[in-house]
Amino acid sequence: MHIRTPKDWELPESAVTSESLYHLSKRRDFLKALGITAVALGARQAMGATAGFPTKLNPAFHDAALKPTAYDAITSYNNFYEFGTGKDEPRELANRGWKTDPWTVEISGLVDTPIKIEVNDMIGKVGGIEQRVYRFRCVEAWSMVIPWDGFQLSKLLALAGPKADAKFVKFYTFNDPKSAPGQREGNLEYPYVEGLRLDEAMHELSFIATGIYGKPIPNQNGAPLRLVVPWKYGFKNIKSIVKIELTAKQPRGTWEAMQAREYGFYANVNPTVDHPRWSQASERVIGGGLGGRQRTLMFNGYDKQVASLYAGMDLKKFY
Amino acid sequence: MLFLEKILRSKAAVWTLLVLPGLWPLWPIFVRPDPSVTADALKYLLHHFGFVACVVLAVVLAFTPLRVLWPKWGVAQAVNRHRRLVGVAAFVYAALHVTTHFVYEGGLDVSFIPDIFRAVVSKPFQLTGLIAFTILLLLAVTSPNAAIKWLGGKRWKNLHRLAYVAAGLVAYHQAAARKIFPLQVLWIFVPLALLEIARVWKQRQVGRVVPKAS
Ligand code: HEM
Repeated sequence: MHIRTPKDWELPESAVTSESLYHLSKRRDFLKALGITAVALGARQAMGATAGFPTKLNPAFHDAALKPTAYDAITSYNNFYEFGTGKDEPRELANRGWKTDPWTVEISGLVDTPIKIEVNDMIGKVGGIEQRVYRFRCVEAWSMVIPWDGFQLSKLLALAGPKADAKFVKFYTFNDPKSAPGQREGNLEYPYVEGLRLDEAMHELSFIATGIYGKPIPNQNGAPLRLVVPWKYGFKNIKSIVKIELTAKQPRGTWEAMQAREYGFYANVNPTVDHPRWSQASERVIGGGLGGRQRTLMFNGYDKQVASLYAGMDLKKFY
Repeated sequence: MLFLEKILRSKAAVWTLLVLPGLWPLWPIFVRPDPSVTADALKYLLHHFGFVACVVLAVVLAFTPLRVLWPKWGVAQAVNRHRRLVGVAAFVYAALHVTTHFVYEGGLDVSFIPDIFRAVVSKPFQLTGLIAFTILLLLAVTSPNAAIKWLGGKRWKNLHRLAYVAAGLVAYHQAAARKIFPLQVLWIFVPLALLEIARVWKQRQVGRVVPKAS
């Protein structure tokens, strides 16, 4: 069993508020069930709704050739328009009282058992979290490599049981204009929504992240849980999910609804299909310095795993 | 006001005002590194130089309307002494922006160069930037006195009216660079447009009241 030692970002248990203590006890039950002793738990609970779950690299989803981007860059260079359109704004504005703990997610629509589930219970039910190192490619032609902690999306959907006529999955971000200045401004249509085909969502690469580098996911990156679909452009990876709805009709994402010529439903990373205003053939590597440019890979390097999902489709048309 | 006027008359002060925005990026990149900037410092430079070029261009274009509208205002007189210097500065910042674009898009790998040119000519937002840049280049090389002599005052003046075309193209270029419409385009260019309209209006009025002596 993998036992973590406390990190400097972790607070002593005494610093945790009573509300979080309730969740802590649930985490403790979960960890006990895994065979982790109270000693191992020690003084290592931290802030963040999903803190305290042990994570372990899943070697099946790790390519040793990938060099993870620095934690500082991952958590300071964010597109999260709910908290402003500048890359630096979410880090500031998402941490001024916006509450992401406790957090409940609803799964509804064409499912056998609609559920509402608290995020810690969710992690317990899906069997804990693991770490995967994925490439991340933004539609703005920059990229990172991110060690995400979380679990496979298919496990979460299985909790509700998609019905046979469910063909798509629609995701909703929180809507709380009081806490989110971008929503007050109305810089986009809110709440932010995104969608996947059900077979895309059930693919083993599709992931729900609750952490980065073993730490609970910071607010600016979409606390406490977000979607990660590594072969698609970053905007598909909806943050801070509150609702997941299974539908028969293809959902329209926020960006697609705003500018369908530029942001398609599929949004698969594809170096041969340009954005109308810039080329997608190559990408800027965040933290790569002066020479930080590389060619973009088909499906962001995951073509072996996902190309079959799109067999026979004209990807220039279904971009 | 007199104080401001005095400062703006001085070439050294104007030089300083023009150079400082170029040094500004040293602060978030080196002096007090901001991780949001250092994550992609070149992108920051790209935006910064583009933004400064835009502002300087709008500022220099405002000089003439200010003088026409308030001919007795000392500040308007003072800044108009520096028209060519400020205009060339707009070009220099635009050149820094374009150079940064090439390094940003190419890294240190020359094999990206064909891609960069293909994108510049095939994407309208980049093409408008290129046309604007070409205009600024043309105006900068024809700014020395020798060039004015060579062209003749009238032709020189007509040529330099292209600066307005450049400003229009740049306003579009800047607006199209972002995913959602950036308000900064408005606060840079709307005041300029209003000044220009007022100037044209005033010149017509004057033209009507005082018929040109033949
Ligand atoms: C060959 C010529 C040019 C090229 C290839 C070019 C390219 C670009 C690119 C790629 C961007 C940023 C897009 C992004 O955010 O990803 C940009 C933004 C911008 N450019 Fe240019 N540009 C050119 C000329 C100019 C000129 C001449 C000016 C001004 C005088 C200018 C002013 C701006 C401004 C203000 C922005 C927006 C910066 C911001 O969003 O903060 N550009 N340009």
